[in-house]
Amino acid sequence: MDFLIAPERLELAEAVREFLEGTHGPEVLRRLDEGENRDSAIWQGLVEMGLPGLLVPEDQGGLGMGLIDAVLIARECGRACLAEPLVESAFVMVPWLAARGETAQLGGIAAGEVRPVPAHKINGWQADGEGAALDSVDPLRNLTQAPDDASDDAHLLDLGALMATAQLVGLAEAMLDQAVEYSKIREQFGQPVGGFQAIKHKLADVAVALEFARPVLWRAAQALEDKASSASLHVSHAKIAASDAAYLAAESAIQVHGAMGYTYEVDLHFWMKRAWALSGAWGGRGFHTRRIDTAIIGGAHPIGPENTFA
Amino acid sequence: MQLHYTEKQQAFRLEVREWLAANLPEKPLLTLEGEEGYHQHVGWERKLAEGNWGMVTWPESYGGRGLDLIEWLIFEEEYWGAGSPLRVNQNGIFLLGPTIMEYGTDEQKERFLTPMAAGEKIWAQAWSEPGAGSDMAAIKTTAYRDGDHYVINGQKTWSSRASFADWGFGLFRTEEGSQRHKGLSFILFDLDTPGVTRRPIRQLHGNPGFAELFFDDVRVPVENRLAGEGEGWKVAMATAGFERGLMLRSPGRFQAAAKRLVELFRKHEADAAPSTREAVAKAWMDTQAYAYNTYSVAAKIMAGGSIGAEASLNKIFWSELDRSMHRAAMQLLGAAAELQHFADGSANDWLEGYIFSLSGPIYAGSNEIQRNITAERLLGMPRVGKG
Repeated sequence: MDFLIAPERLELAEAVREFLEGTHGPEVLRRLDEGENRDSAIWQGLVEMGLPGLLVPEDQGGLGMGLIDAVLIARECGRACLAEPLVESAFVMVPWLAARGETAQLGGIAAGEVRPVPAHKINGWQADGEGAALDSVDPLRNLTQAPDDASDDAHLLDLGALMATAQLVGLAEAMLDQAVEYSKIREQFGQPVGGFQAIKHKLADVAVALEFARPVLWRAAQALEDKASSASLHVSHAKIAASDAAYLAAESAIQVHGAMGYTYEVDLHFWMKRAWALSGAWGGRGFHTRRIDTAIIGGAHPIGPENTFA
Repeated sequence: MQLHYTEKQQAFRLEVREWLAANLPEKPLLTLEGEEGYHQHVGWERKLAEGNWGMVTWPESYGGRGLDLIEWLIFEEEYWGAGSPLRVNQNGIFLLGPTIMEYGTDEQKERFLTPMAAGEKIWAQAWSEPGAGSDMAAIKTTAYRDGDHYVINGQKTWSSRASFADWGFGLFRTEEGSQRHKGLSFILFDLDTPGVTRRPIRQLHGNPGFAELFFDDVRVPVENRLAGEGEGWKVAMATAGFERGLMLRSPGRFQAAAKRLVELFRKHEADAAPSTREAVAKAWMDTQAYAYNTYSVAAKIMAGGSIGAEASLNKIFWSELDRSMHRAAMQLLGAAAELQHFADGSANDWLEGYIFSLSGPIYAGSNEIQRNITAERLLGMPRVGKG
């Protein structure tokens, strides 16, 4: 029993964070928003980091790493509000295809040449697909009509929900950081507004929500990696905790920004809109709450202190 | 990350489970906040000590088992899962004990830890004063040196367990004219020392769970001071860290309450509000999240790390989830919620638990103070303004 993420895994995620901070700041989001939403140079940078092949087995040209590594990096993609379809292609499609023994595309994905994206019935749309375009509130999201043959596979849904959760944690962390920074520079009544307890307590609540969403995410990733029979339950728990934290972070951050937060000019809106999108994607609160309800109130899952890791 | 118990850990779990099954009191004990229940709970502490279960993480030389934090968590899970009594000596074993382990001399460890683990001496805390609650640095009670003794004068209040306990610990001003965090020392004292007057205070439920303490020229030997003279604030902050952080509220207790809440919900499902149904599911989720977080902190400490201001996040979370769970139970019980005993004669533990849960966001540093600490020390927000 060791609930500690190995330091070398954190180092890899840290390297991705630094890379994205250096190459994918808010000015890039603005440029993409004014232009084509996608940029092959950004994608090429991710390919050079080896990220599309993170979960592809080594003998097929990938890095052969695990879901914990992938959620750590998906969290960084959320923190950077990455627009490229890395997470759904490399961290959702790859493990799903690999688990089904469909290995034909994996080498091409690892090389960055192809980037298939998942289509699941629960969403009703597809992100970065080939169908007719749909409008999302998130200006950097390329939503398309779902194909008629969209999957209803449970494993695909869990992978999609897990990776949306990881991004939601990163998005919420970034929004909290933005609100804290703004509270230090915005002055009213002769002092930074972050000195007022009303503002402190609001952001402290976001910190609490995040502190108790993160370990649920790690638990869900490990359960899915271990193919635990209870993995779906833990994914649902994580999705609810992270969505709630992300909505709280978004609403608190806009409030701390005041009227500035209600503009298109402040960076916050990119993160906030992605958080709204991913909270509803891959099973909304209703779907995941029902899965918890069935398992816990319905009695299918053993509970109580001796069943912490059941 | 590896989320499976070893065979040794599983065997330990079974050992705890079997001992508890054979030794738990047949009838639930009376509340430890009243005199009779207090003595029942002291008896239970001594029973635990006979089985060498007083404080499993302590070295064997002080009556422990020398176990690691994962084994402690397993012990706690089994302890609360079996419905075992509250720990009447929690101020000692969970707060003062770890503080003595860190700051005490060998002589102090020998003198205080062994009888603590054995349940022979029950401890009360003495932090707050009438003018020093959330603002603990406003402490006024003095302990001035007179030869090889301190002479204590002043008043402490909200002193948990002090109505019946044997010993107390707290912060006293040892330097004349000192202000705020400076000039304070951490002193342990026998509650039966001449000059100590205890005035029990009835708590919300009517029992004297805490007391006021009056000190009138109370002479305490200098060797009862923990760490150096004037270092009391630093020592007290370490104690507060244990209180808010890992030790005082292990997840097992809350997970056990969440399980009982789910069972209560199933009984009352037909009458339950949809919002209560969601609160019950949330009780499971939040208690599990708290358990994962605790395992993660334990792993961090075992890998050589330490717990800092994150303890404040913990304290906010466990105290507010405890209140939410018990509120949901009160709502499920409906008209029966106000009954002290149900029709079948059993005690309404939910009512007592709800009342107790209201103290959680207040004691160990109010949650408003914890939110300030979170904002200033973890998030780096400015420390200006009191607004």
